[in-house]
Amino acid sequence: MKTRREFVQGLILAVGGAATLSACGDKAPAVMATAPNNPGRFYSGDEMALVSRVADLIIPETETPGALQVNVAGYLDGLMSDWASANTQEQHRAALVRLRSDLDAAVAGPFERATQEDAERALSELDARAFESDQSLGGYRQLKGWITQSYFATEGGAVQELKWVALPGRWDPSVDINPA
Amino acid sequence: MADFDAIVVGSGMSGGMSAKELTERGLKVLVLERGPEIIPERDYTDNLTPWEKPNLDSVPQDEIAEHYPRQYGGVAYAIKESTKHFWVKDSEHPYEEAEGTTYDWLRGYHTAGRSIMWSRQTYRLSDLDFGANKREGHAIDWPIRYADIEPWYTKVETFVGISGSAEGLPQLPDSVFQPAFELTDAEKSLKASVESSFPERNVIPARIAHLTDATDEQKELGRSNCQVRNHCHQGCSFKAYFSSLNATLPAAERTGNLTMVHNAIVQSVEYDAESNRVTGVRIVDAVSNEKRTYTAKVIFLNASTIASAMILLQSKSETFANGLANHSDQVGRNLMDHVSGANASGYLSGFNNKTTFGRRPSGGIYIPRYANLNGSDKPYARGFGFQGGATAVGNAGGQIPGIGRAFKEAHRMPSAWRIGIGAFGEQLSSPDNRVTLHESKRDKWGNPLAVFNVRYGENEYKMLEEASKDAVAMLEAAGCTNITATDVNLTKPGNRIHEMGSARMGHDRETSVLNGWCQAHDVPNLFITDGSFMTSAGCQNPSLTYMAFSARAAHYAADLIAQGEL
Repeated sequence: MKTRREFVQGLILAVGGAATLSACGDKAPAVMATAPNNPGRFYSGDEMALVSRVADLIIPETETPGALQVNVAGYLDGLMSDWASANTQEQHRAALVRLRSDLDAAVAGPFERATQEDAERALSELDARAFESDQSLGGYRQLKGWITQSYFATEGGAVQELKWVALPGRWDPSVDINPA
Repeated sequence: MADFDAIVVGSGMSGGMSAKELTERGLKVLVLERGPEIIPERDYTDNLTPWEKPNLDSVPQDEIAEHYPRQYGGVAYAIKESTKHFWVKDSEHPYEEAEGTTYDWLRGYHTAGRSIMWSRQTYRLSDLDFGANKREGHAIDWPIRYADIEPWYTKVETFVGISGSAEGLPQLPDSVFQPAFELTDAEKSLKASVESSFPERNVIPARIAHLTDATDEQKELGRSNCQVRNHCHQGCSFKAYFSSLNATLPAAERTGNLTMVHNAIVQSVEYDAESNRVTGVRIVDAVSNEKRTYTAKVIFLNASTIASAMILLQSKSETFANGLANHSDQVGRNLMDHVSGANASGYLSGFNNKTTFGRRPSGGIYIPRYANLNGSDKPYARGFGFQGGATAVGNAGGQIPGIGRAFKEAHRMPSAWRIGIGAFGEQLSSPDNRVTLHESKRDKWGNPLAVFNVRYGENEYKMLEEASKDAVAMLEAAGCTNITATDVNLTKPGNRIHEMGSARMGHDRETSVLNGWCQAHDVPNLFITDGSFMTSAGCQNPSLTYMAFSARAAHYAADLIAQGEL
């Protein structure tokens, strides 16, 4: 069984690019293995729990992995630690405070302890407000964007869910979509 | 006895072609590159998967602010964690702007220069362009016409490899083509509507320097067909898109006549008044700060439009107190770029059962210039082309409402088909638009900083206003809905990364720096074949033209050497 790297190298050789095999990514992303209640490099334990729960609700496990299974919370923890400026970190923390406040109020208690049904209802209502007119929920929309982009940047999200192909090898401008 | 037959300053788009043609003529050539060596096996990142690029491949915000504010401000789409090593750090390579002006000087200092990062759109100029200045009485006349350069376009294109379609348009002559990337169904619909509603307009496949049917010569250089990954900003291990590193430099190297030196920043060109010849170049090593001089019979400046002008301005002598080969005082003047800022987009229905396979590189469609083709029928001079495409829009940004399974699975299918087009317009030359040397500020190697003083004129504003209206009209004709056209907001000069004109060619030494062979009027063994020579800008992406003129000049210089005249 060839690894992906070996497969890519073999293809390059097969089509004639003999001399220029580039780095095929031996370096792993700086994402910590995380558990929902454990602090990360950036997130506190409480923040990690909230981000993990929200990410799980937004992108649940189906026939393919969900946000929890591919460690989106850990990805975001790395993003905040290594990419975000102090200003972005501060705004994100404030957005999480607001999010927790709204969600706790919506389920009349700690959001993470709410039933699945109540949690889905609370987040759905907040999500709808964020995409309708409530500008004050911009921090939530940003978090949702990061969760989604991070999910599809993982191998599980990209390959299993999105069917991302490393080497298309051809261009087909007109492919019929089969709804099935 | 000179060290080399020829020195080529710069290894980018034009320098690579100069080196190839000179070495293939049997000349011993030294290529000087101011930056470090790029080694594809080490430095290309095109084979990294999304999950091998942490942090969404974004450069840390603090690092952007400290090191890349101007570069990132100009081309945020191209500067990622996996590609930032192809772009200069503003913190190490500063420049200045005259009060009240702005300029984007977007660069890469390394083997092959910006030919690694270019967008690969490749178009010929025509006599509509070469005759424009004379016809309109603007600036000075080009000293050549299309017939002079046509065979060199053909020669260069055969080597480079360009995908596109023969259209027979006089204002955009056909190149030597490999098969085009076929239009999407939505693009075909746009084409039919636009060409029906506006008979003088055409919607054609973008012409891009990607191999789609590699020739034996291209395969011998280790090049192969495009794999349709759209990872081009990260380099290409398949050598499928053209760059100096993928094509011309290896071709030069296989002759056995090429010597390449990296980290060699040219500070001046040495001039001998008695013989009226340049004799060599003085460089400072970017790493060791050691200064050296290399000598040659002929010197080609291919350092890029700005840098070549600065080298001339830095090369002062008793004969040329204002800079080498600058009798005309045109060195550094007439700086041009292309101008954008008129964009429109809309959505096309009827294609929701369609998607695409593969990630097509560098745009899909081109709408060649249609304004002022036969005389002056517009309220502005010259014209513009539109670049764009119609693609199925995904949802991967997460900015759609909903949570749970439905939200997740919404990403599997395109949400809509969106068409976007943006104008690339011709900027008229003006002697007041120029780059000069700062009187006192120096970089860390002691070289004067560039000072830009470039403004758009009334024609560019008027042209883009009209282009914006035209864009909306075409999308309306195509049946688009939710058409969005932002207010016309001209791109900063330099932002299109098509700098041109700082040592223009012309008929005489009083008004121009170069003759029709890219040879300095004042100094016969000095040639400049980067964008500096452009007398006017056209509206077409110019790299192909730089390469055609480089090849032509290289053979002319080789002939002169063979005849003992240089």
